[in-house]
Amino acid sequence: MTVVKLFFVALLASIGQVLADEPEIDARQALMKMTHAMEVLNYKGTVAFLRNGKLEPMKYVHAAKKGVEQERLSSLNSPMREIIRDSDKVSCLYKETQQIVVDHRPFEHSFLVDIPRNLDKLGAIYQFEIVGEEDVAMLPSYVVAIQPKDNFRYFRKLWIEKQNFLPLKVVVYDNSGVIQEQVVFTEIEVKDALPFADLKFSDTAPPVQHIHQPQTHSSDQAAFVVTNIPLGFREIFFTRRPMHNTRQLVDHLLLSDGFTSVSVYMENKSAAMQAGLQSAGAVNSFSRTIGDSQLTVMGEVPPETVKFIAEGIKLKGLKD
Amino acid sequence: MPEDLNQKISQFLDNELDHVHALNLLKKMQPQTELQDILHRYEAISNAIKTDFFLLTKSDFSIKIRQQIQQEAVYLLPQQKPAKRRHKVIALAASIVIVAVIAERGINNQADQLINAASTQQVAQHQAQKPVAYEHQADELPLNTRINEYLQAHNSSVYTNGEANFQTFARVTAYSQK
Repeated sequence: MTVVKLFFVALLASIGQVLADEPEIDARQALMKMTHAMEVLNYKGTVAFLRNGKLEPMKYVHAAKKGVEQERLSSLNSPMREIIRDSDKVSCLYKETQQIVVDHRPFEHSFLVDIPRNLDKLGAIYQFEIVGEEDVAMLPSYVVAIQPKDNFRYFRKLWIEKQNFLPLKVVVYDNSGVIQEQVVFTEIEVKDALPFADLKFSDTAPPVQHIHQPQTHSSDQAAFVVTNIPLGFREIFFTRRPMHNTRQLVDHLLLSDGFTSVSVYMENKSAAMQAGLQSAGAVNSFSRTIGDSQLTVMGEVPPETVKFIAEGIKLKGLKD
Repeated sequence: MPEDLNQKISQFLDNELDHVHALNLLKKMQPQTELQDILHRYEAISNAIKTDFFLLTKSDFSIKIRQQIQQEAVYLLPQQKPAKRRHKVIALAASIVIVAVIAERGINNQADQLINAASTQQVAQHQAQKPVAYEHQADELPLNTRINEYLQAHNSSVYTNGEANFQTFARVTAYSQK
């Protein structure tokens, strides 16, 4: 009898050991918990943005109260500025000149990382997996790999802190495994509450400059049609608005697969525009002319993707 | 007689003929190609026996080289004339003047750039306050500015990029939207 008891005790212990070795949650659960934690928790720290070979360390604050959120960034290096996101409104104060720019970003939720709310729809284009556990900013975290199933988008890794499920690090890799972008906290702390802030206006400040929220239209109004759309990308908005400090209208179509977004711009042809591919870190753009129009496809996707999309764009009513 | 000559050729190759007989043999061989061929053949046999290796050259090898040299074109290369001292002095003075001009331009450009960098904010502010939209300005828009504007419209990463020139751009763009 004693032997049987010992056997069961050993069995339970071994099962417990096996379960302890496995992550308690899967990658999708970790990402969903992270999205929720990013919205409801009050936290602050120092975060470094590494983009296009430039390192930008900033102080970060996220305040949340009764479903209302505020995200704040303060630069540590010149140009000194403070950026506040209140819901879809992004305000940026340039401290040297006291200039304030107010922008509207209804389709973005965070300066750190935007995760789509429904990951189930992304199963066809991304694979989610917890690939390890590491410490970031001296905090243990899950390493979640977001692996695209094709070459049209970048591979990402997220380091999600195990206790509060906050994102501590986000890395974007190109198709050859080279790091393209990185956002990483060097220190972070969660608070019970953090104050909301307003941009402080100086008496001598120039007037606030507004970048108005683009009025969205149906993409049926676009002068072009996109025929090469990689799997999973869908239209987020289409707008026609003046750009380049002129009254010249530019068509802007935003596509997204949830993690990755691509913009298509079309305007009248001008001599200044350079055709072909351009890169700035993870962001690639491809420009070409069609008839009297000039189009540019831009996004944080591989060069082949912007080229593929651009080459599939046709003017409505223009036969090849 | 031929056998006698063959024997002398063999002795010649073995260095057994004295100077007078060797000279007579060479004089006899000079007009007779058959004798020259025999000499080469004996020489080949002798070398092959002694060294196990022999590179056979044709009998007219040296003749052809001589003919090639005679047919070689003559290049009349200009000879370098020694420069006069006066010319050297003039060249040195001209070089110093050119260096001085280039250096001055470089310094002026740097100064201009510094002045431009310092006044960029003022210029941009001046533009931002001017309620004028230039219809044809887009044609002259620098490529990077256009791409920056596209990037700004694409997502909010421009705010965390730390690009020093974005502030200027954002202001001007923002004003046109009013």
